[in-house]
Amino acid sequence: MSAALLSATGVRFRYREQEVLAGVDLEMGEGEMVILLGPNGVGKSTLLKIFSGLLPPHSGEVSLLGRPPASYGRREMARLLSVVGQDLPVDFPMAVEEYVALGRFPHQGFFGGSAAEDREQMERALVMTGLMELRRRGLGEISAGERQRAAVARAICQGARVMLLDEPTAFLDIYHRVAFYEILTRLKENCGISALVASHDLSLCAEYGERILLLSGGKVMASGKPEEVLTPENVWEAYGVAVTCDRNPATGAVRVTPLRSTT
Amino acid sequence: MRRTSPILAVLLGAFLGAIALSVSTGPTAVSLRQVVDGLTANGWRGIPSDTGARVVLTLRLPRALLGALVGGALSSSGVAFQALLRNPLADPYILGVSGGAAVGALAAFLLLPGDSFLPLPLCAFLGAALAASGVFLMARHRRGVSRERLILMGVVVGAFLNALIMLMVAFSPPGKIPGALYWLMGDLGLGTLPRVGVLLPYVAVGTGILFLLSRGLDLLLLGDEPAFTSGLPVEKVKTAVYLTASLLAGSVVAVSGLIGFVGLIVPHGARVLVGSGHRRLLPVAFLLGGTFLILADVLARTASPSGELPVGAVTALSGAPFFLYLLRRNGGKP
Repeated sequence: MSAALLSATGVRFRYREQEVLAGVDLEMGEGEMVILLGPNGVGKSTLLKIFSGLLPPHSGEVSLLGRPPASYGRREMARLLSVVGQDLPVDFPMAVEEYVALGRFPHQGFFGGSAAEDREQMERALVMTGLMELRRRGLGEISAGERQRAAVARAICQGARVMLLDEPTAFLDIYHRVAFYEILTRLKENCGISALVASHDLSLCAEYGERILLLSGGKVMASGKPEEVLTPENVWEAYGVAVTCDRNPATGAVRVTPLRSTT
Repeated sequence: MRRTSPILAVLLGAFLGAIALSVSTGPTAVSLRQVVDGLTANGWRGIPSDTGARVVLTLRLPRALLGALVGGALSSSGVAFQALLRNPLADPYILGVSGGAAVGALAAFLLLPGDSFLPLPLCAFLGAALAASGVFLMARHRRGVSRERLILMGVVVGAFLNALIMLMVAFSPPGKIPGALYWLMGDLGLGTLPRVGVLLPYVAVGTGILFLLSRGLDLLLLGDEPAFTSGLPVEKVKTAVYLTASLLAGSVVAVSGLIGFVGLIVPHGARVLVGSGHRRLLPVAFLLGGTFLILADVLARTASPSGELPVGAVTALSGAPFFLYLLRRNGGKP
């Protein structure tokens, strides 16, 4: 059997004295969409940064296709793995299409790559994210949600085998939230691209995610199919919120509905 | 993508026009015919004997070329520092280069015997290089160089060097100070041909390196983490950009003193024309900066009947209102 696409074994990480990850295990195969859930500050972003090579784990092991992230050359790694982080640039005038085209960097040589291929990939990403109309607008002139879609488009344009996405739907309206998960599903089914998504959309994740990891207290509290993870007990333990979990009558997926606090 | 070629063509025209204007401006009128005749009389070898041709070839043309190199280099350096620090208010002097150069120049004036101008550019360059590398080394920590620390260290080192400058001025013999201060204010009158020759390789190498790094500069605008995950070796590129931009600024200061505002405003003007993509921005900023400084120098030479103004004063006087205009035009965003 070939090495897992992404794996973490006993990963620990602390910021100064504050331990954020206290032994996290995760294994992800080709063409999987895995959702990372958990309350604010539980270490979802930290885990994604460790996978992307931005932070080294204090202990434990991380690997991308069987090798630690640090052992890859920058461009080589960027061709395998793309990241949509939480911060989006607005300080300098840059058109949406220029920004998206920056995703082609790891495929370009010192003096640029195939201009035709770059253009094609850029336009494909713009079409997928519904940004064709806005392609010549400045990043500073579009809404936060549109910028977030541009960041996703840049990651798609990067053409990597696995995408790490850190709360990519935070600023999106419900139409674009659904559209976002549809895009990931299409990328997975048509191109075999895997995605690890940190999110707070419990019900949408249940609809689209094959596997959910619920982080709590620096560890994986529950992992498995949406209906196995998203139970009132687990949600209460992780988030401290009372919910009911029933089935969406139309799709059969788990539906998580918060209950009003009675106190 | 915006159309760049017409903009480049217009700018190139303006650039050459500014050189022509600068060469033909002066107390004595010299015709092109005179210059060509002077050159052909010697078979294009050596300096012609005709006075008018000599003035043009040994004084005005080098001065125009120096203006082009200095303006272009300061603008390129400004573009690079703004991308490196992700701060539109950065300029080539922000990280201690100016203070270091001033201390070096003053030290040369005060400590070295005689009135020779020769060691002064070298000492200014050394001072700039020391200050810039000091700031860089102090801003480093375990995980590389952070932009915030760079700016903070630049400001602290700059303040320290300013204090040194005041001390040096206070403790120096009165006759020695004006020369150094006037030189520091920025002046292209020192533009004799050998100085153009000294500056040219630095500018060629520096702008060449920046151009090769232009995709890296684009990615640096996104921030360190996105640049890293997009495949850029961020720390290496930051170090290369820092050293190159400092080299450009330091070599310019050494040759022409401190000419302010060009490195701050010209990059903004260039961005209005072609956006932030550095492949287009760098050449456009170079041409725009060269044109701007040559024209400012023409103004500095002709504005006052009693003598030349320091070109640094002209750039700041015309640059500040222009910058305010840009700010207002873009709704508060430079």
